[in-house]
Amino acid sequence: MKARLVASLALVAALVAVSTAAARTDSPAHATASKITVWLQVDAQSGWPDLVASTNAAFEKAHPGVSVDVQYQTWPDHLGKFDATLAGGNVPDVIEMGNTEMTKYMAAGAFANLSADKGSFANSRSWLQGLAASATFNGKLYGVPYYAGSRVVTYRTDLYKKIKAKAPKSLAQFSSIAKKLRARNGKKSFSPVYIAGTDWYFAMSFVYDYGGRIATFSRGKWHGALDSPKARAGLAAYKRFFDVASRASRTGTEDRPQPYDVFAQGGAASIVGPAWFSCCVGKKYKNVTNQFVMPGHKAGQSMPGFLGGSDLAVPNGSKDKALAKDWIRIFTSTSGEKTLQAKGNIPNATNLLGNSVNERAAKRSWFVPTAKNWVNVENGNVLRTMLARILTGKSSIKDATSTASDNITLTLNRP
Amino acid sequence: MTSSHVPSGAALAAEAAPRLRRRRPLTWSGIFRASVPYWLILPVLGTVAAILGYPLYWLVKLSFQRYGLEELIAHKGVGVGWANFSSVLHDPVFWHTLLRTVVFTIANVGLTMVIGTLIALLLVQVSSVIRVLLTTGLVLVWAMPPVVAVQVWLWMTNYENGVLNYILTKLHVGDYMQHDWYASTFSMLSLTTTLIVWGAIPFVVVTVYAGLSQVPGELVEAAEIDGARPWRVFKDVTLPILKPIFLILTSLSIIWDFGVFTQPFLLIGQSRIATSNYVMGTYLYEEGYFFHDFGRGAAISILMLLMVALLSVVYVRKMVQFDEVR
Amino acid sequence: MSAQTQIAPAPVAPTVGRRPRRTRRRRLTRTAWNLVGILVLVLLAFPVFWMVSTAFKPDDQINSLNPTWFSLHPTLGHFTDAIHRPFFWVDVKNSLIIVGVTVALSMALAFLAAVALAKFRFTGQKLFIVLMIGIQMLPQAGLIIPLFVVLRRYGQVNTLTGVIFTYMTFVLPFSVWTLRGFLLGIPRELEEAAMVDGSSRLGAFVKILLPLVAPGLVATSIFAFITSWNEYIFARILLNDGSKQTATVWLSYFTGTSRHTDWGGLMAGSTLIAIPVIVFFLLVQRKIAFGLTAGAVKA
Repeated sequence: MKARLVASLALVAALVAVSTAAARTDSPAHATASKITVWLQVDAQSGWPDLVASTNAAFEKAHPGVSVDVQYQTWPDHLGKFDATLAGGNVPDVIEMGNTEMTKYMAAGAFANLSADKGSFANSRSWLQGLAASATFNGKLYGVPYYAGSRVVTYRTDLYKKIKAKAPKSLAQFSSIAKKLRARNGKKSFSPVYIAGTDWYFAMSFVYDYGGRIATFSRGKWHGALDSPKARAGLAAYKRFFDVASRASRTGTEDRPQPYDVFAQGGAASIVGPAWFSCCVGKKYKNVTNQFVMPGHKAGQSMPGFLGGSDLAVPNGSKDKALAKDWIRIFTSTSGEKTLQAKGNIPNATNLLGNSVNERAAKRSWFVPTAKNWVNVENGNVLRTMLARILTGKSSIKDATSTASDNITLTLNRP
Repeated sequence: MTSSHVPSGAALAAEAAPRLRRRRPLTWSGIFRASVPYWLILPVLGTVAAILGYPLYWLVKLSFQRYGLEELIAHKGVGVGWANFSSVLHDPVFWHTLLRTVVFTIANVGLTMVIGTLIALLLVQVSSVIRVLLTTGLVLVWAMPPVVAVQVWLWMTNYENGVLNYILTKLHVGDYMQHDWYASTFSMLSLTTTLIVWGAIPFVVVTVYAGLSQVPGELVEAAEIDGARPWRVFKDVTLPILKPIFLILTSLSIIWDFGVFTQPFLLIGQSRIATSNYVMGTYLYEEGYFFHDFGRGAAISILMLLMVALLSVVYVRKMVQFDEVR
Repeated sequence: MSAQTQIAPAPVAPTVGRRPRRTRRRRLTRTAWNLVGILVLVLLAFPVFWMVSTAFKPDDQINSLNPTWFSLHPTLGHFTDAIHRPFFWVDVKNSLIIVGVTVALSMALAFLAAVALAKFRFTGQKLFIVLMIGIQMLPQAGLIIPLFVVLRRYGQVNTLTGVIFTYMTFVLPFSVWTLRGFLLGIPRELEEAAMVDGSSRLGAFVKILLPLVAPGLVATSIFAFITSWNEYIFARILLNDGSKQTATVWLSYFTGTSRHTDWGGLMAGSTLIAIPVIVFFLLVQRKIAFGLTAGAVKA
């Protein structure tokens, strides 16, 4: 009957109204919070839990009555979760961000300006250029470098010994080593240097080594620069090297399969990747594994390596930024960074750098364009598509780079 | 109902009640009984409205706004009218993705329903030991988290020496050593289809089998004794009773497979997802949320809703009509 | 036949078994079907087998690109490692609570609504049906952020109840939809016969219908259980503390790191987490397999 229909519809409408207009149940603002929330990636939980514990202890000693709630996040969905809190409230006080993830959020105003406090963070005057750049936007500091990682070549000392080769000092030397390795090992699927075709972190190193760039910023606009002659020369060198050295899939990605698995099965004499790859080369080859820095095309110079890493930021919605900054201060102090270094990471400042292969490789590095929309280029797999087309021969280097460059220009300049 | 005169108000009230009720004048108890169905649906309606009311409103609101990361932080969007919808509808990627997804859905739903029903019929024919084993196996398949299933699929299709490459080469189908199964869109989506169908079969089997248990055994035996072949028995006795269940399963499968996200996203991998292999689920996620263009994402969500409603309208109509025929 | 004297449905499955004399031909057919059944089982369950067998393999055999079908040196190391990871037992307990309550409440509420849809005619019925279907057409990706916002307003973030209500919202529509189908599938004669018994009140109505729709309830509840049990993204977004998270969130930590993934641990963890699902299924599967004799009138 009509009355019943009206009544039930009214009920539904009321429920919807309630849910949309419910008063916010925010807790009243405290002068000082009694708890701070820290979002770290699960790498910290498994890699350096002692550092986290000691930082919490020191913090709680310095601020009696304030506890630290460390919540571990996973890389695939921590940004989705962060977005939800930005929309609905409950943002963490400290958040770990990948260095390529920072720019977009800095541009959107997600983080607190830390420029005034820069001096209070340990070793801030000699922070690694690549990390510091990722935490800066429009000249202001929005994050504190946490740790970095670069790429090295992990290789089979026994196979290299057999062809009487030492760590190559130039790309040309490396290519000839690769040829000799292939001659010695007849198996069709064997890779002297296992590189996945669309491993853009590695391929772009060639571009930067030859003096090219991914994009440049001039006169207020971004310009895709992969179609410049230098960049094209770099990519041509990459293709030549790949043809000689790798039997991996030309359209494949660098995580499927994991290069260290291929290495452990004897399918490769060398692999390129983060330094921690040495953990997983398997029992058989554990004792004949070593690392060297990837050489550039000019003799004696290393190839610039992609500097990965993380920064720590304080979201603007945090209820007590002073406490948050203090936690970061303790976590990234010199002793904290030394702990990270001992676990195989690159510490955040040049004056702390040691002499491990990882750290030597970081001396010459490159970083992605610090554009607000860079992440969209990455997520849109523009570079991977370009590399796949070049390596499979579907496009000439000229065409593929033109397309990619235009795409990058368009994406980076989008409002 | 068998009434032949123009129904009065009282009669209408009585009609709303279960068939057995004799017609009564409009009394408080009559109203109460007539309102029974509303009380029955109230808890469901209430729960759904309380949780989804705001999200629905949000989706519609955002689809008319420019809402990126800045707007998310500021809790305020900029009205742009139909621009989001217009931009999506004028984007060839949207149409290519739509077409690809329709074909994908048809393939998935078809395979799921056919294989699922066949296995359910198989369950009837086997001895009870095998039946328990098979159903337990099916539930194990059902219970496996997608992340883990994807790992097994990746292992089987491994470029270096996955089982699939190995077997195909050994069977002389061609040289499949170091064949990349994720190099072409067709290949990628076919593998995704096998993964989805495999995971969806258990539900179909269990539901159809439950439906089969409603089929009176005597009718089946009667038909068999009358000399009917198994296909005719199925067609004349079993199928009519199973019809509502088939309609439900098909309509649900269409809805789910059209918007499926987890399996293609995990199997193809975020590094390989590109406009050339989008299905609606991954398209929405990438363009709407991964790129932080929430307004566009909301517009795509609404368009997807309309599309899948269109696709399933035939089945839904049948379901609703079914009720009236009775 | 005895069609006119027996009104209630007898279970379909054992029709063959009820014949006193088995001809040899029937036996052969049965055996042939059994073989087919085993083949299907092997094909379908192979990935499950692989998951379980990997859980027992030592690390070098797992990462090997040459398959090891059956490890000759099985190890329980992955299982002990998984169990000792932080919050394992708590998270499993949380999952059990959340899923248990979700399934119980959803089945009850969905059954009532399905009765309303299948056995009554009322204004707005079509609208309600369309709503039930329409909700399932909503792409979930779009709902994550606003759902978080609204639950925050209710103070339900980082609570088990918030997750329960969210899961119910996703489980109810298809449960209503599916149960309605099962209710419609019940032959009319059975209903009328049951009602002739003199019970014309809603309560007795439900009491008669409930047993008849039990197989449908079981199928739907299994679906609800598994969907809720394996649900990940909303649990991840809504729950913050390790002590409140669910088993699937616990599992995600295996693959969420930027370092190498502990596949053995992941497989062991997945195997462990699948156990409650199997237990639940084994408990309820009798209703499907053997149909139902309670409340039916036998010849």
